[in-house]
Amino acid sequence: MLGKGKKTESDRTASPDRSGETKSTTFLSRSSTPDAKTVIGKHIAIEGSIRGDEDLQIEGAMKGNIELPKHNFKVGSSGQMEGEITARNVSVSGEFKGNIKCHEKVEVTHEADFYGEIKAKSISVEDGAYIKGVIELDREPNRKPSDTRKPQTPAAPATGDKKES
Amino acid sequence: MATSITPGSNAPEADLQPEAYTSEILQHLIEPITRLKDGRVLDMGPVCEENIMFFAGRLQKHYVCDMFLRLIREQRVARHSRNVWRHLDYPPRFFDGIHIWDFCDHLDDKKVGQLMKHCLAMLQPGGLLLMTAFEKTPPQGRINAFIIQPGYRISYRVQPHLNLPWHCRHNRALMSLLTGFSIVKTLRYRNGIREILLKKPLSIS
Repeated sequence: MLGKGKKTESDRTASPDRSGETKSTTFLSRSSTPDAKTVIGKHIAIEGSIRGDEDLQIEGAMKGNIELPKHNFKVGSSGQMEGEITARNVSVSGEFKGNIKCHEKVEVTHEADFYGEIKAKSISVEDGAYIKGVIELDREPNRKPSDTRKPQTPAAPATGDKKES
Repeated sequence: MATSITPGSNAPEADLQPEAYTSEILQHLIEPITRLKDGRVLDMGPVCEENIMFFAGRLQKHYVCDMFLRLIREQRVARHSRNVWRHLDYPPRFFDGIHIWDFCDHLDDKKVGQLMKHCLAMLQPGGLLLMTAFEKTPPQGRINAFIIQPGYRISYRVQPHLNLPWHCRHNRALMSLLTGFSIVKTLRYRNGIREILLKKPLSIS
């Protein structure tokens, strides 16, 4: 886990306290407030795995796996991420290569470059996003797709489809 | 014939859109594949949420590779030297269906031939390829995503980030490029859109 409480990036660097000793508890604490979020900045590169109990946003480069089963993960527009992600919600705006297993929703914005596999309950994709990948959405068992009915008669302007062969 | 038209008139957006239509051929593509245990369809884009939901809601896994954006990016970095097809690096005979939408309208004849070869390789014998083609360049030359709505109704959404040349072809010219496939069905709609369903012959492995 990377952080505790909602803090600015400068709060997260190890810094001397009033007694002059270096504090590093922000990196090590295991407790988190509900809205806690860690941001890995543009100029940070990480290689390795991360597990945690708060939201995480990557604006720098990250190679490795991320497990935030109850929290949200975001690859920001300047972020580059390669690896496997397990999270509650995932948002991709930067570059992502790997697999996402998401308990709720994956959001892919128009800035995203996505290569990989998505498993999620639902997905939202903005026009302009680049996706090369496989998408697997949770489907309720025995649920019938809502629009498999036969083609309806087209609205007036589109009627008269001509059959050529 | 290749025409490159830059958007820029004051015409209202709605006037630039082709009329919506109901795609009978999309139903022909998707329904047999949904009956397969692990049917695989590749959607070559442009990527849009509605289409992902449509395919992913019917198939175990939905494959997406936005070739429109790929083509634009290839053209930006190196006009001639790059091979855009390297992004279609799927195993042979992997897909039961491929939907290329109107991608061919943005490729010259040589590239259409190359695309057909790749599609033949990626499809199972008996696999289906669905393509859409405009009879002539739409007003303002805007590229639209074809949005699948309930009831196989197809509407459009302008993709301003896509700026590709148009190579609209007459029927005979288009058909002559679709080598290797057998034609299952073609439909021409009043809005100038043609849909063509092709099948990889069982004799081709």
